[in-house]
Amino acid sequence: MSDKAPDTAGMDYLQTLPRRWVTVYIPMIVFLILLLFPFYWMAMTAFKPNEELVSRAANPFWIVSPTLAHFEKLLFRTDYPQWMWNTVLVSVVSTFASLAASVFAAYAIERLRFRGAKQTGLAIFLAYLVPPSILFIPLAAIVVQLGLFDTRWALILTYPTFLIPFCTWLLMGYFRSIPYELEECALIDGATRWQILVKIILPLAVPGLISAGIFAFTLSWNEFIYALTFVSSSETKTVPVGVVTELVEGDVYHWGALMAGALLGSLPVAVLYSFFVEYYVSGMTGAVKE
Amino acid sequence: MSNFNRRDFLKASAGVAAGTAAVGVGGEALAQAKGAPALNLKPEKGAKLRVLKWKRFVQGDEDLFNANIKKFSAQTGIEVRIDYEGFEDVRPKAAVAANVGSGPDVIYGFFDDPHLYPEKLLDVTDVANYLGNKYGGWYDVCKTYGMSGNKWISIPLGAAGATFVHRISHMQAAGFKEFPKDMKGFLDLCKALKAKGTPAGFALGNATGDGNAWCHWLVWAFGGRMVDEKNNVVINSPETIKALEYAKELYATFIPGTLSWLDPNNNKAFLDGLISVTNNGISVYYAAKNATDPKVKEMTADIGHAPFPIGPVGRGTELHLFTEAMIFKYTKAPQAAKAFVTFMMEKEQYEPWQQASIGYVTQPLKAYESNPIWTSDPKNTPYRDCVKNMTPNSFAGKLGYASAGTMADFVMVNMVAEAASGSKSPKEAAERAEARAKRYYKV
Repeated sequence: MSDKAPDTAGMDYLQTLPRRWVTVYIPMIVFLILLLFPFYWMAMTAFKPNEELVSRAANPFWIVSPTLAHFEKLLFRTDYPQWMWNTVLVSVVSTFASLAASVFAAYAIERLRFRGAKQTGLAIFLAYLVPPSILFIPLAAIVVQLGLFDTRWALILTYPTFLIPFCTWLLMGYFRSIPYELEECALIDGATRWQILVKIILPLAVPGLISAGIFAFTLSWNEFIYALTFVSSSETKTVPVGVVTELVEGDVYHWGALMAGALLGSLPVAVLYSFFVEYYVSGMTGAVKE
Repeated sequence: MSNFNRRDFLKASAGVAAGTAAVGVGGEALAQAKGAPALNLKPEKGAKLRVLKWKRFVQGDEDLFNANIKKFSAQTGIEVRIDYEGFEDVRPKAAVAANVGSGPDVIYGFFDDPHLYPEKLLDVTDVANYLGNKYGGWYDVCKTYGMSGNKWISIPLGAAGATFVHRISHMQAAGFKEFPKDMKGFLDLCKALKAKGTPAGFALGNATGDGNAWCHWLVWAFGGRMVDEKNNVVINSPETIKALEYAKELYATFIPGTLSWLDPNNNKAFLDGLISVTNNGISVYYAAKNATDPKVKEMTADIGHAPFPIGPVGRGTELHLFTEAMIFKYTKAPQAAKAFVTFMMEKEQYEPWQQASIGYVTQPLKAYESNPIWTSDPKNTPYRDCVKNMTPNSFAGKLGYASAGTMADFVMVNMVAEAASGSKSPKEAAERAEARAKRYYKV
């Protein structure tokens, strides 16, 4: 450090107001519009009466007479509450199950350093790249043989097929950022591998776990093809499949109710993000510094 | 448990035949009904059925279908559970059921579905012969879709037919007293409508129903076809080029934006008064008739329906959303499943269901042409002959994986869209379609 008094002006001469507008505010406004417009449109449509939805004269960006009719239809004339419950149950259970499996897998690959660990990590990642549209028929055969067809368990047990590879890969990266020295100290102090995992690694990896959990939850929340093919009964459907089945009649789309369903369906995910956003960001960047 | 036995079933069949005679169907049908062989079905004791059908197009469809199921259960003691899925989502579910050997006993699928896994389906020749003999016979296209070789592998339920839905006042203002019946007249009408500021609009996006329907009609009308009788890809032909040149002229008369239109877009644009002509099922008319908005309701009297114009080939070249019942071999109650499918096609059930569906589904059996739904409102009448005028999507080849894949990949629709919009010349568009189709047909 210099002994001279700090130059408080620094490079502020570069941050003039017009420059800030060009480099920060305008790009941010454009980005926000692009990002939020679909949600705005979704909310507008959900509260618009049908007359305004099909009318050319109506302002497409605003509502003159807002209505709750679409929500009423969705909540009281369809099985939406049941679909929502199914979605929550399936997403939560499959996310926690996947996280548990991924923690063990990622820790073993990163820290136990067994022969072929790298290749195993790569193989797990490659498994994530196999698209569900190829996997759903062989998986269906297994689901049928296990007698789980048309049950929530069919989804709870198949979602980890894409959640575990994803979470493992993400957690491998996070565990890699935790210094070895911490574990070595614990080993010297006589800690077992299990104690190291539970008392040292996992508390340090909370942001990574939250990050992986949010991603896994979102992936299972939005999943469509398995939910469509492994479940038939209306009472076991999830939101993404249920709304499409119930609110699309041939070439007539009930846009108001569909958007109301999408709006309500996106709320839990949005709430989850907002609660854990700080952990989520640090989880993505690897927060433990040496 | 059911007390339903063979004798009861024969009694029920006799009752149906008597009912048929009482209400009076076509002479041919009646004559055949008299000589129709009885269907010898023995539903299994304690049979339970699971059925998967596409989600309703109109509310009445589902209400009556469910009511008919209740009736079937009451008469036979066979418990039936029905599930509904969006019409585009039935195919993957049926494919899973066929491949894993488990799932619904009966699935109502679309187009080529039975020909994707014919060996997994129950032979329903007895049911098809019984119904065909009793109700005046099947239309030709039904045999194409329903039969594999000499046996029937599915029972056609009908087709969600389409016509050219138009605004009568706009057509008249453009100088046409009636809807043109040939291609030149149709192009002239669209040009005149455009000049009057009330243009036409047809879906050119990947619209499963509307896009496929009008694009296939257009190419076939000029003699173009995806494949020949031996499944050789022949789409890149002078006839196709003529059709694509016509499409380019026609597209110039459309409202902007049709390249991205999917199935619901033309309904919305028509009801909003943005377009004067499009191809659609009866749902637009139904929506106007039942609208709460007085402006939309007013439109009802001004809506006309006309069959697709005839092209240089000199015959109807229509494609409609064809649907059929498939019974899978894995079912534990094949006789009960056959009894169910038969029951739903009998006049007592089928005609009221058609009426409740306001004619959205056109019958596969000729006798049902006399259903009052087609004449009670003259605007329904053009939909009556949709299946009669229909050409199978595999034309002129065989139904199966390749024809299903080619249509699912929108090869025909994309070709027409590319040529119409000018993004490719007609020749280039046909060449690309040829290359894409060959990928499916070489398997």
